[in-house]
Amino acid sequence: MDADIKWLDDPETFRVNQLPAHSDHRFYGNYAEWAHHASRFVQSLDGQWQFKFANTPAERQPEFYNPALDCSDFDEIAVPSEIELSDYAQNNYINTLMPWEGKIYRRPAYAVDGENKEEGSFSQGEDNTVGMYRKTFDLAPSLRGKEIRVRFEGVERSMYLWLNGHFVGYAEDSFTPSEFDLTPYIQDEDNVMAVEVFKNSTASWIEDQDMFRFSGIFRSVELLAQPVTHVEDMTIRATVDDNYQDGHFGLQLQLDGEEGGSVRVLVKDADGNTVVSTEKAVAEKVTIDDVALQGVHLWDNHHPYLYQLLVEIRDQQGQLVELVPYRFGFRRIEINADYVVLLNGKRLIINGVNRHEWDDHRGRSVTMADMISDIRTFKENNINAVRTCHYPDQLPWYYLCDDNGIYMMAENNLESHATWQKMGKVDPSYNVPGSVPQWKEVVVDRARTNYETFKNHTAILFWSLGNESFAGDNIAAMGRFYKEHDDSRLVHYEGVCHTHDYSKQIPSLDKTTYLPAGGTKDYRDQISDVESWMYLPPKQVEEYLKNNPDKPFMECEYMHDMGNSDGGMGSYIELLDKYPQYFGGFIWDFIDQALQVKDPVSGKMVMRYGGDFDDRHSDYEFSGDGLMFADRTPKPAMQEVRYYYGLHK
Amino acid sequence: MAYTNKLHVIYGDGSLGVGGDGFHYIFSYERGGLESLKINGKEWLYRTPTPTFWRATTDNDRGSGFNIKSAQWLSADCFQKCTGINVQVDDHDFAGLPLDNDHYSNDETADQVVITYTFATLTVPSTTVTVEYTVMVGGPIKVHAHYTGKEGLPELPVFGIRMIMPSAATGFKYEGLSGETYPDRMAGAMHGTFDVEGLPVAKYLVPQENGMHMATDWVNITREITQNNADHSQEPFSMKVAKDQDPFAFSCLPYTAEELENATHLEELPLERRTVLVIAGAVRGVGGIDSWGADVEKQYHIPADQDIDFSFILNA
Repeated sequence: MDADIKWLDDPETFRVNQLPAHSDHRFYGNYAEWAHHASRFVQSLDGQWQFKFANTPAERQPEFYNPALDCSDFDEIAVPSEIELSDYAQNNYINTLMPWEGKIYRRPAYAVDGENKEEGSFSQGEDNTVGMYRKTFDLAPSLRGKEIRVRFEGVERSMYLWLNGHFVGYAEDSFTPSEFDLTPYIQDEDNVMAVEVFKNSTASWIEDQDMFRFSGIFRSVELLAQPVTHVEDMTIRATVDDNYQDGHFGLQLQLDGEEGGSVRVLVKDADGNTVVSTEKAVAEKVTIDDVALQGVHLWDNHHPYLYQLLVEIRDQQGQLVELVPYRFGFRRIEINADYVVLLNGKRLIINGVNRHEWDDHRGRSVTMADMISDIRTFKENNINAVRTCHYPDQLPWYYLCDDNGIYMMAENNLESHATWQKMGKVDPSYNVPGSVPQWKEVVVDRARTNYETFKNHTAILFWSLGNESFAGDNIAAMGRFYKEHDDSRLVHYEGVCHTHDYSKQIPSLDKTTYLPAGGTKDYRDQISDVESWMYLPPKQVEEYLKNNPDKPFMECEYMHDMGNSDGGMGSYIELLDKYPQYFGGFIWDFIDQALQVKDPVSGKMVMRYGGDFDDRHSDYEFSGDGLMFADRTPKPAMQEVRYYYGLHK
Repeated sequence: MAYTNKLHVIYGDGSLGVGGDGFHYIFSYERGGLESLKINGKEWLYRTPTPTFWRATTDNDRGSGFNIKSAQWLSADCFQKCTGINVQVDDHDFAGLPLDNDHYSNDETADQVVITYTFATLTVPSTTVTVEYTVMVGGPIKVHAHYTGKEGLPELPVFGIRMIMPSAATGFKYEGLSGETYPDRMAGAMHGTFDVEGLPVAKYLVPQENGMHMATDWVNITREITQNNADHSQEPFSMKVAKDQDPFAFSCLPYTAEELENATHLEELPLERRTVLVIAGAVRGVGGIDSWGADVEKQYHIPADQDIDFSFILNA
């Protein structure tokens, strides 16, 4: 198969030869490797790559992936990093409108009349910058002779992959891992990997997050060798019984590779006592049926108690060939008959923040140090929950949340507010995904990838379908995907509130501010287990809570922390004491998006926000809504958050 | 004048001087305010204190249009029109200025001197503000500010007295609430005594109102340098401002509201060379429901049609 640039224009082509998404578990050859965080099966490709930039698709280097190409005119770029922050392309911050606003007239394929494919929209886009990456590498000795894949943890926005001159595959969904099988083309030495990264494609319409618009390989790249027998996917099922004391443990493994041999499954408590120990023969599917456990330690924010799962795969000689460790907890989230959200049988209160991944030097290519610092800030300020706005985060963040008892709302990579929110008005004239059939699979795939990748993380209490994308059949289908695959979590989506008439529930709210003038099908019964709004003032929140709420209420965004703000927080917090159906919310947001640069006039390092790079259209200082300044020092309002979030810890 | 603990009063032609052990004040008739506040030989005023009405627009103010609705208060803050001065020495009220002053000596004394400046605000309609300085034996000055409520004026961003000092403070210490607080954002603060190094400006991306401290009992400001060319000392020196009856709010920054207003980035702000102390009697909340229209909660507004009174002690 050859790469086709027209995939950029086609919403129905979003993954080509990509391996199915699966559990994010790590795997090792033995216990020592695990202890040293050094798996013989993993080889990092992070570091300097050869790089060439093109302003438009037409200006690309032909056959840049050809191993024999003379690359003497290529530069070098760090992987992971943002192309813009190496000054190849202009930085641009924009909120709702598309980044080509006022420059290029575009509409999403099929969205206006169901017919127009908008051919050439991106493949010939004058604004579609391209990064051409090349990496020459030898396979590490421990990976040789095995099946080899490559995993790109995050690439904005659409990538084509070649190895040794052969086209391998294509991926979108910038914020989830993309894996490809390299086995047919891999050599022990002198491999040439080539990645072509386009800044825009049809995916741009559904990745219109309120953020600096970057492109590039901004998360790590790894080679993964497959052990002879390998846990390809794993689903842990840790349930809590109705007495909230006992639990059940179950496990499903999907194995690849050689048959024969055994699978040993151990579960140990935090003191190292073995509570489950069982052995099965290797098979394509290995299932440990629910094992009853008496007196399990429950996981929550105060006591993030995790059990250690160990899956040992042994060959027929009894030699350990793969070790899969995973830490998980027992916890139960549910909505009771009075529409109160319960965690482990007790009322759940979300003292949350929305968190974009941000580093004032590195953009969204955040580091482990950034993540560790953020967790520390959460703990210091009574923040007990995070919404991964509005895309999945780096893999380690989920583990950190498990370890530290941070409740997660794990959001899909989806935001399309430009397609329905026009200067504040609800006008879904060309909304995608909406109910446009050609935009269904791409978003359901995002739900699937989010679920499959992160399903074993105890910290995730809510799946969130996305942000500000209006609602239609396709978002309903995403919700159904979660409902069909996961009964251990709740499903959240705010945008559905724009399809329902709240005259009875929130009488003082002017309908024209949240409903489209042309009317809409009501999806409230189909989408979201919880009633979620953003920035609804306390008075209207109270109206909803007073008028026989039939879904628990939360604010997925509230207390907009732009500049000197966060006044009046008490009016929200006091509702928690009055209405059990109110379960809190996520402050907008955790950290300012600003870039630290050297000021040419003063020579000082200074913060730059939207518009400071001559980027137009921009939403300027709207990029700075954090409780933290972009350099990770707290804003003065943090003490207020610490106080109010401390009242319902 | 060490032989008396009374105030020494100098009936000047353009000012009233009031002195004592370790302090000397000049209340100017020409400049419409307290021109010199000298304590232990160090000058504390760069220009005369004035009423202040403006706060540098916050992101939430801009979003809700408050800066536009209340824009009149910016000009009222920039330009001050003093319309009357009244002097009272002990029980004698001069009903104006004591300019029939050729029969005084250099040994005039008093137990109390009260100078009241009246300002007409440059607003439509205009209203009046009086600032009354009561100098007491020993040097403390009670400052009482009164805003006369007036129908038809937009809500106030702030009401206070602004004093600009000749050099930047090296720091200040205060007893009150921790951190930056506003009427609608002070529940999380702890009461205590806090030492602040320098004159920190909160690093909001766009410079804006910042650094307010609500419910303060006292603040002690420390400087090290003066503009006096003959002053060779680098020893730190301080002045204390204390509450009168009720705690006050204050901010102590290197910039005026107008300087902050004019900058779109921190690095555009001028070099730090002054101390701008605002003692506020009324502070508007900052809000936070959203940044594109939601108003500050009603109880944290400053209505313009109601009188505002507050007082504090200078050189306490």
